[in-house]
Amino acid sequence: MPSCPAGCDGCHAGALALRLALFVRAHRFNDQHAARDKERRSRRCLVQIYLPIAELPVNMFMLFGMGGAVGFLSGLFGIGGGFLLTPLLIFSGIPPAVSVATVTTQVVASSASGVVAYWRRKMIDFKLAIMLLVGGVIGSALGVWLFDMLRSLGQLDLVISLSYVTFLSTIGGLMLVESLRSMARRRSGAVMPARKPGQHNWVHGLPFKMRFRQSRLYVSVIPIVVLGAIIGFLGAVLGIGGGFMMVPALIYLLRVPTNIVIGTSLLQILVTMAAATFLHSVSTHSVDIVLALTLMVGGVIGAQFGARMGQKLRGDQLRLLLALLVLAVGMRFAVNLLIEPEELYSISVVEEVA
Amino acid sequence: MMRCVRSLLRRPAGEALAGALALALALTLLPASGKAEDLVVDLSDDTINIESNFTGANIVVFGQIVRDAATVGRPEPYDLAVIVSGPETRVTTRRKGRFAGIWVNRDAETFLEVPSFLVTHTSRRANEIAPRPVLEQHRIGLFNLNLPITGDSGVPMSDRDNFRRAFLRLRVESGLYAERSGVIEFLSDTLFRTTVPLPANVPVGEYTVTTYLLRGGALLASNEQSLVVAKTGFEQLTYRLAYNYAAVYGLLAIALAVFTGWLAGVIFRRD
Repeated sequence: MPSCPAGCDGCHAGALALRLALFVRAHRFNDQHAARDKERRSRRCLVQIYLPIAELPVNMFMLFGMGGAVGFLSGLFGIGGGFLLTPLLIFSGIPPAVSVATVTTQVVASSASGVVAYWRRKMIDFKLAIMLLVGGVIGSALGVWLFDMLRSLGQLDLVISLSYVTFLSTIGGLMLVESLRSMARRRSGAVMPARKPGQHNWVHGLPFKMRFRQSRLYVSVIPIVVLGAIIGFLGAVLGIGGGFMMVPALIYLLRVPTNIVIGTSLLQILVTMAAATFLHSVSTHSVDIVLALTLMVGGVIGAQFGARMGQKLRGDQLRLLLALLVLAVGMRFAVNLLIEPEELYSISVVEEVA
Repeated sequence: MMRCVRSLLRRPAGEALAGALALALALTLLPASGKAEDLVVDLSDDTINIESNFTGANIVVFGQIVRDAATVGRPEPYDLAVIVSGPETRVTTRRKGRFAGIWVNRDAETFLEVPSFLVTHTSRRANEIAPRPVLEQHRIGLFNLNLPITGDSGVPMSDRDNFRRAFLRLRVESGLYAERSGVIEFLSDTLFRTTVPLPANVPVGEYTVTTYLLRGGALLASNEQSLVVAKTGFEQLTYRLAYNYAAVYGLLAIALAVFTGWLAGVIFRRD
C-alpha cells in the first residue's frame, strides 16, 4: 500500500476530489492574492516602514516631515527640539516609552552636528562640560530608573504629561515675559545696564570652588553638578535635551560667557543623551533604531534651513516665538489632563506568558 | 493528513495529481474509523514574515468536511468556526478617573492569560451555532472568551464586567480581536474556505488556527494548525540585538547618531 510521503495516516475516503479542488482553488486564490499584495506593496513600500521595536508600521514621509519641522525649529532657535518631537511622536500613535527613548538618540545626532561646528571654533569649555556631565550621568541613571518604575506602575504617561505641563508652562511663561520686556525696552530706546564683572550672587558663596579657565570663572562645583543632574534626569524621563533650560541657567546663574555657553551645553547634552540612550537600551529596550534614523535624517536637514532663517530674525523676536511655542505644547498637555478623555480605559501588556 | 495536503499543494500539478490519485486509492481502501465526520484543514501559509514593508497579510484557511459512508444525513446544516489565536499574554486594563482635578489612571484589572490576537470566523452568528457552554468551552465568539483575573483584584464584582467589555472593545478597535460571522465560504457541500486578515500591528509569536465542525449545537470534529508570525531579516536582527545584546545595541545607536550628526555637520559646513 503506498503511504503518504509526509507519513500521515488515517485519511478518509473521498479524498481525490477534495485534493484536486483544494489544489486548484488554493492556487488560483493565492495567485490572485499574491498579485494584489504585490501591487499594494509596491504602492506602499516607499511610504510605509515597519518599526522593529515599536512593532508597528508608520508613514515614512510623516516621520521625515516631523523630523524636518522640528529640525527647522531647532536650527531656528538653537534648541535640541526634543520637547517638541517627543509629544509629536506620542500624539501620532507611537508608544510613549518608545518615543521618549528614541528621541534621546535623535538628540544625540542633532547635538553632535552642533558640537562639531563649535569645536572647530574652539568655543567649548571642556572642564565645565565634564563637571556638568558628572551630574548628568547621575541624573539620567536616576531618570531611567524612575522611568522603568513608573512604566510598570502605569503612571508613566501621567508623569510625562504633568512634567511637560509644569516645565513648559513655567519656562514658556518666563521667556514670554522676558522677550516682551526686552521688545518694549528696545521700542522705548532704553539701554539695558551692562553686567559688571565683579558682581556676585548667592551661587558664588558656595564651597568647593574650582577654576574654569576658558570661561574665566571661579565658582563652586555644587551648582554645576546639580544643574547637570537635573537636566540629565529630565532628559531621561521626558526625552528632552534640556538645552532650553541649560543655556539660561549657565548664563544667568553661573555667569558663563555667552559665546562659550552654547557649545558647552551642546557637548553636555550630547554626552548625557548618549548615556540616556545606552541606559534606555539596556533597561527598557525601547530605543527604535529605525525610527531614530528616520527622524535624524529629517532633523539635520531641517536644522540647516532653520539656522539660515534664524539669522534673519532679531533675538527678542526669536525668543518670543519660542516662548509661544513652548507654552502651546505645555497647554496641549494641560488640556489633555483637564478635559475628560473620550476613552477612559487603556490596555498595556505586562508580560508574555510562556 | 494535513501535511499530505500541504505537500500536494506545493508540488507541481502533474506530480500532485499522481500522488493524490495514489493516496485516494489507498484511502478508499482504509476501513472507516469510528467517527462519522472529520475535518481536513490547511493554511495558505504556515509562516507570516514581517519585513520592513510589512503592512499586514491575509491567511487563507481552507479544508473539507470528510464524511464516511456511515454518515447519516440530517436536516441541520453544518456549522464551522475558525479561530486564529496568538500567544497568551498578561495584560492590565486601566481606567482613568478624576483625581485632584486631573484625569489619571486609577483602577486597574489584570487579566492573566489572554490571547494577544484573536479572530473568530463563523459560518453563522455564534449564538445560533451552539448553546453558551459549548461556545465558552471552545472560545467561539469574543464574548465567550474567558478572561481570568488575578486574585488580588481591587475592582468590585459589579464593576468587573465594565473592564471586560472595555478590554474587548479596545482590542477590537486596535484590530487585534475580531469576530465575523457568515464569512466562511462553502465552495461545495463540504468544501470551505475563509480568509483571515492579519493587521500590520499583529504581534509576533506562535499562533494556533483551530477549526470546529458543529451540527445542531454539538461538536463533531476539530482540527488544530499552527501558524508562526515572525520578524525576518533586518527586523529580526534589530529586535534580537535590542533584547539579547542590549549594550551592543545601545552603543550602536549612539555611534549611528554621532556619525549622522557629524556627517551633517561636514556636509552643511559653512565656514
